[in-house]
Amino acid sequence: MPKFPPERANADESSSEEDEFSELSGDEQEVIALDDVEDDVVGEDVIPKQKVEIDNTDALRRIRETIQLDPSLPWTETLVVTYPETIEVDVNDDLNRELAFYKQALHSAERARTLAAKHSLPFTRPSDYFAEMVKSDAHMERIRIKLLDERAGIKKAEEKRKEREAKKFGKQVQIEKQKERERSKKEMTERLKSLKRKRKGALENAEADGEEFDVTVEEAIGDERSSKRPKKEGGGKKMSRGTRDAKYGFGGKGRRSKQNTRSSTDSFVSGGNKKGKGKGAVNKRPGKSKRQAMKNRRS
Amino acid sequence: MTGGKRKRQAEETEAENDAQPKRRNKQRVLMLSSRGVTHRMRHLMSDLEALLPHVKKESKLDSKSQLHLLPELADLHNCNNTLYFEARRHEDLYLWAAKTPNGPSIKMHVLNAHTMDELKMTGNCLKGSRGLLSFDKAFDETEWGRMTKELFTHIFGVPPLARRAKPFIDHILSFSILDNKIWFRNFQILEKDPEQPNGPSKMSLVEIGPRFVLTPIRIFEGAFSGATVYSNPEFVTPAAVRSMMKHRKGDRYRNRKDAQEESVQRKELRRREEDALSVPKVFA
Repeated sequence: MPKFPPERANADESSSEEDEFSELSGDEQEVIALDDVEDDVVGEDVIPKQKVEIDNTDALRRIRETIQLDPSLPWTETLVVTYPETIEVDVNDDLNRELAFYKQALHSAERARTLAAKHSLPFTRPSDYFAEMVKSDAHMERIRIKLLDERAGIKKAEEKRKEREAKKFGKQVQIEKQKERERSKKEMTERLKSLKRKRKGALENAEADGEEFDVTVEEAIGDERSSKRPKKEGGGKKMSRGTRDAKYGFGGKGRRSKQNTRSSTDSFVSGGNKKGKGKGAVNKRPGKSKRQAMKNRRS
Repeated sequence: MTGGKRKRQAEETEAENDAQPKRRNKQRVLMLSSRGVTHRMRHLMSDLEALLPHVKKESKLDSKSQLHLLPELADLHNCNNTLYFEARRHEDLYLWAAKTPNGPSIKMHVLNAHTMDELKMTGNCLKGSRGLLSFDKAFDETEWGRMTKELFTHIFGVPPLARRAKPFIDHILSFSILDNKIWFRNFQILEKDPEQPNGPSKMSLVEIGPRFVLTPIRIFEGAFSGATVYSNPEFVTPAAVRSMMKHRKGDRYRNRKDAQEESVQRKELRRREEDALSVPKVFA
């Protein structure tokens, strides 16, 4: 490592430069020599090397006085402000540390503003003064976009959090919904019943204006259905995993599920084709042509 | 060099003849780095250059052992201050702040440098506007602190007559001593709330960057030379820190290996001699 040893510099310098501090440098060399000796005697692993502290306050003060700016200079020449407090926060506490720095800067800036007013130094930049900035416009645009992104991210996270919280009450909501569904179903049957009761008197020619009856039924139920439909269509919400598995199937029964087993071979019960059997029983209303024919026959 | 000196002497005598009131703060800073700076260090330098209009940037210094060239170089550029960034091992950065040609100089270790390129710092200011300097009270409590404050006032304070300086004050450089280190921050001064441009003026700050922490190591009497007048006993070189960490890691490995060996030896010790009642003989 090409380290620049200050001691050597010291040796260089003491020959050429002022002899004001010659006794000082001699002093220091002595101290270091002592330190070296100590190291040799004690050995490395017994005591960690104690560094020599040098704090020659007299020399420091003298040097400072030689370079000091003229104290009679007006404040506008240096713009230095001293914060009247020391900063005492935990170094590892980032937030409080930065806050302390911010407070220092803010205090100083406010103080400087009053000083500037006193010295009639222009402080505030007028809004129509444009000049090159430290950061380019492109860079500032990137900063702006990043800020926007961040804000969007925060919003999104907030929504997610809310959703999660809502999910906690999901079960309750589900039960409520089921109840609601039952209630609406009940209501519907009630309505239909009342409708039928109303129409009972005209039951004799019910077949005649069957279609009209249908229309009234539609009307009676109508609002119910129309209120339900959009929910289902627009439903961006997915079904839950369980529901989807139940509906579309998941996994399956395994590879040999369709193979014959001993029991299936032994049994002679046919699975039977159930399709189409129930249909006739369910739909009691004859087809349109038949109904037409019936109508013609009657009249 | 001698010419520059003569000139300065001439100036000084002139100033003295002219009588006091026309004294000004004249500072020019030479900024340069050693070879082997990484991009981050380079960006930090260019940030400081953008902030300080009285800085003259020089090309990299070739040799790290010939720091005595620096005062001459500064003199060639009519600079009376020097900021020298010394990179070591492509990872450690040291900053020399010196008053040339007669000293003093401070050597510091730069830690936690963040440049202005980072998108976290959202402030902005005029290029070349004079920044305020804010020092906390801790600088006035120690002699080395006072010295550092004086030197930083010269180097980081933009003199009013700097050629590229702009009027108006819109940023503040703050120096604070915490944990025996000097913390540097740069804030933009907002005098009005940007959301209510016509509201009451309430000052607020936004950080512009860069930010870094300086650990003072030594203060020398001369410029890049001379006797040490202050040394920081707490400073441990980053190389020493790294080697210590490596050692600790090495210790772990060594301990494990020792344990393994020991267990093998123990096994060896506990092995029983072959005798008539040994298991393979009985159950053969």
